[in-house]
Amino acid sequence: MPSGKDLRELSDQEVVALARDGLEAAYRELLHRYERPVFSLIYRMVRDRALAEDLAQDTFVKVLNALESYRPEYKFSSWIFKIANNVAIDQLRRRELDTLSLDGAPDARTQDEIEATALQAVDRTQTPLAELESRELGSLIEQAIARLRPEYRACILLRHVEGRTYEEIAETLDLPLGTVKTYIHRARHELREYLEPYKD
Amino acid sequence: MHVSRKPLTDNEMDAVVVRALSRLGALAPSRSFAAAVMVRVALPQPRPVVLYRRTRAWAAQPSHALALAGGYAVSAIVALAVVVPWLLVRLPAIGFVADRVLVRGAEFIRQGIVAIAEWSVVSGLAGLIRLVPLSGPGIWVAGVLLTIGYTGCAIALHMLLRTPKGKDVVHVRA
Repeated sequence: MPSGKDLRELSDQEVVALARDGLEAAYRELLHRYERPVFSLIYRMVRDRALAEDLAQDTFVKVLNALESYRPEYKFSSWIFKIANNVAIDQLRRRELDTLSLDGAPDARTQDEIEATALQAVDRTQTPLAELESRELGSLIEQAIARLRPEYRACILLRHVEGRTYEEIAETLDLPLGTVKTYIHRARHELREYLEPYKD
Repeated sequence: MHVSRKPLTDNEMDAVVVRALSRLGALAPSRSFAAAVMVRVALPQPRPVVLYRRTRAWAAQPSHALALAGGYAVSAIVALAVVVPWLLVRLPAIGFVADRVLVRGAEFIRQGIVAIAEWSVVSGLAGLIRLVPLSGPGIWVAGVLLTIGYTGCAIALHMLLRTPKGKDVVHVRA
């Protein structure tokens, strides 16, 4: 029976095979690998932390309870992102969500509430000045992403935040490759236009 | 001093956008996230357990239980229909075997009693018993004492052979 350290060295497919055999540590390893990417994708789609947590939980529950139906010839990451995207898109169709700053939840009124609900990005490798500039640009780009159509949003996040290839995105979102390229091109164009007033 | 900057071209702006996107980084859910997910995940059970539970769940449905009971009754009738004629056909042989067993058993018991009797005569035990005044009230006293003795032995055997405190013995894994 592999230990936690051994599991970290295995591929997704190997960990899934162990999970199918009932190894609880394998389930936890899959959760550990994908909780941040999945939560980030869903949060940036729905722009609400509590809702994003619920939807990310639903995504993992669906995925982990349906491991028997996972086909190992496909990438596990594509499968989980596909389910996460579908969950987020379904939610967006049901409810129109507006923009939310990364600085806190929409219902936060006091400074304590704002700080308590603020999200922390994981990257801590920058200097304070670079971090400040990055936070400003990051905040702008987050607002710009929030204005994109959901389809563009999913494509641009998977391509440039998660680093997926065009082919993987096409497989994940069930879209033709040409459509994915078009969406990403248009999304970048819209982001450029949104940032245009700030470029000086 | 005023420093004028050249406006960024579309390509440069695009590079800024891509760089900003790639720096967004991953966002972390709450610390209780993994635990909340695991509570809702059904871990696979060992195959024998799954098979047993499925069978029990299937049999628990009234229509299935009725079918099982009916099948059991039919199989019992079929078995009787086969076994009874088979016994009747072979009854003489079965009777002969049973007689032989009974005769052998009775002979074995008789020989045992004779051996004990011979031993009691040879050892002088019979003479000692003959000296015991078993007449009148003495017979009743001896009867009561024997009954108490046998009852005590039965209780002791029961206490010795039963499982602890009447419960099933728990098998402890090595």
